[in-house]
Amino acid sequence: MVIQIILLCGLVIFSGLAILLRDLIKAALSLAVASLFLGLIFFRLGAPYAGVFEISVVAGLITVLFALTIALTKKEDEVQENRLVKVIFPLFFILFLVIDGLVMKSLLTKVPALPSAPEGGSFGLVLWKQRTFDLVAQVGVIFAGVLAVLALFRKTGKDEEKDE
Amino acid sequence: MSNLWFLYLFFSALLIFIGLYCLLTMRNLIRLFIAVEIISKGVSLAIVATGAVKNSVLLAQSLAITYIVVEVSLVATALALIINIYKKNKSLDVRILSKLKG
Amino acid sequence: MVFSFIVIPLLVAAFLPLIGKLSKKLIPDVLTNAALAYLVINAVMLVKPLLARGTILRNINWFGEQVNLTVALDSFSLFMLFTISLVSLCITIFSVDYLEHYGHKAIFYALLLVMIAGMNGLVLIPDLFSIYLFLEVAAVASYALVAFGLGYDELEASFKYLMLSVVASAFALLSITIIFGMTGSLSFQAVAQGLQDLQARYVVGVCVAFFIMGFGLKAALVPFHAWLPDAHPSAPAPISAMLSGLLIKVSGVYALFRIVYSVVGLTPVLTQVLLALGTISMVVAALLALGQKDLKRMLAYSSISQVGYIVVGLALGTPLGLLGGLFHLFNHAVAKGLLFLNSGSVQHITGTRNLEELGGLDKKVPLTAGTNLVGALSIAGVPPLAGFWSKLIIIMALIQAKEFAYALVAILASILTLWYYLLIQRKAFFGPLNEKFKQVKEAPFWMSAACVILALIVILVGVFFTPFVKTWISPAADVLARGIQHVLTWGI
Repeated sequence: MVIQIILLCGLVIFSGLAILLRDLIKAALSLAVASLFLGLIFFRLGAPYAGVFEISVVAGLITVLFALTIALTKKEDEVQENRLVKVIFPLFFILFLVIDGLVMKSLLTKVPALPSAPEGGSFGLVLWKQRTFDLVAQVGVIFAGVLAVLALFRKTGKDEEKDE
Repeated sequence: MSNLWFLYLFFSALLIFIGLYCLLTMRNLIRLFIAVEIISKGVSLAIVATGAVKNSVLLAQSLAITYIVVEVSLVATALALIINIYKKNKSLDVRILSKLKG
Repeated sequence: MVFSFIVIPLLVAAFLPLIGKLSKKLIPDVLTNAALAYLVINAVMLVKPLLARGTILRNINWFGEQVNLTVALDSFSLFMLFTISLVSLCITIFSVDYLEHYGHKAIFYALLLVMIAGMNGLVLIPDLFSIYLFLEVAAVASYALVAFGLGYDELEASFKYLMLSVVASAFALLSITIIFGMTGSLSFQAVAQGLQDLQARYVVGVCVAFFIMGFGLKAALVPFHAWLPDAHPSAPAPISAMLSGLLIKVSGVYALFRIVYSVVGLTPVLTQVLLALGTISMVVAALLALGQKDLKRMLAYSSISQVGYIVVGLALGTPLGLLGGLFHLFNHAVAKGLLFLNSGSVQHITGTRNLEELGGLDKKVPLTAGTNLVGALSIAGVPPLAGFWSKLIIIMALIQAKEFAYALVAILASILTLWYYLLIQRKAFFGPLNEKFKQVKEAPFWMSAACVILALIVILVGVFFTPFVKTWISPAADVLARGIQHVLTWGI
């Protein structure tokens, strides 16, 4: 349990760093570290496949995409963030921490839940036999993403004129 | 067992708060998208933790994986948009110059 | 076949980019229009079996394996499917000529079809998590389509839309997660049953608040509307028509009310909250629309205002209110589709959509002016066009439910609506002709054809509104009304 809480704290701290660090590459890397923590949490919660996905896809692939974008857009105009925003952040954070704690504590007794029976079968069976429609929707989402990237990076008429 | 659920929800609410705060206050497009990523981390933590606590971790796991796939597709779209905006911003200047010349 | 509503658009979308290399124009046009025409016919064919059997539940085998591919088709879903297929068919007919500006038709159509598949899936699925998923399918496609012109405005609008919409769906998903934690299941029926057993009032209240935030943002109800006036006008005209006519209704209004009616149940408090939100959107957006100079921006604000009417009608929960809300949903989808397509025609003809520059176009392009007048008068609620009847029903339902204040506001807002639509008509089409537009010609054939078809639908539905309401809308309203009785209220 203690390990779990340490992992959760690490997750929150690195997420906070991701928005506070000035350098975008460092921010993206600390986001990746946060993903790593999340993956470990998933693993310890008994969801090893989700953990692997989280680490390989989110901490890996998405970080690479972020780094690529940052590299492609870095040259000029550094966007200056408002300094005040970062100074105030801990204040708001602690305020929210307290509110969050109080709300969760008061909810603790209020939320009823149906008793649940342990589920049978294996992960593969659940994914393929219970959530089959999700797979169809995943195909749709991937299509949409691929087509979106194709559409956004296509050559427009203006570009072609410029090339000539 | 139910107490544990609230512990995880507590942390996922914290993550969502960090994301929302960044979305509302920061200016850099990429950082805004990092904020969106943090929010979605909070949501996926909530999904898996809910499943783990309520004895249906297999179901929750498949939901989380699906959610990650959606996330990748969103990230690809958003980063493509960001790169395009960046390109346009530069080429916007070029167009102003060419107008001045013409 | 019920599954064809999801499978056919996806298959065609997968096929198009491959074929696009072979034939840049003809094959994508024909294929897309044929697919959508098939879906319209399919929807019409399903009316009879559905009326006979109530709900159709389908479960198919996948290569002999027992898998869970369940869709539930009731009259409400069928009504939405019909609206989606019909309006998007007209939009693709329009795109045949309009897309000549943009090029890359194959990718455009593929994205459009993925969006349609997403909406159809959303309508057919009786499962909370899948609702979120199909919402995201439609949304990802729509981000790319808003930015399809690749101009700076488009990209910025699309980015803003993406940010807000991702946050919205995150909230919706969070709420779904909490419900999943309480009941241990995700399908509508099981969740409704579970919530009924639990009697968890406050927590369900919080979940519903998250749903209203999430889906209200998708539907652009007023406190959450900021993205719409940027995103909808920036998109190419057919996509504006698609987003305003269909997407906000399917991913916002449909999803919200499907969950409210079939899962959590409608309570007096919820009715009041939704009535207030709907009325505020109605009035605020109508006032904002008055000040706009850009034709498409005005239409976008008008969409927010009209969604307010739909939400008010559906939130009442009385049979008359449901009838009016659904009927207005259809009328607005058709008429707003028509108006956005017309704005595309105007832009195609004159090269501008600034109302101050336009003027006197009715002598030059009578067809566009005429169809625009039909659409505008229908939304503004002038008899005997379709929009009049639906607004009348909503206002009657408000009076019947003794919500006199809301009824009064609805009437006043419809006067405002009439005002700004006449403003559009006067500034763009009547009055003296601007010198610049001496040479303009009527829009190309397919663009005019799509507008004429939509205008004819508006007029015909207005004239023959009894048979139309009987076949399509009353069964759908009945389904919702029955849903209310099925789901016991969690009541505060």
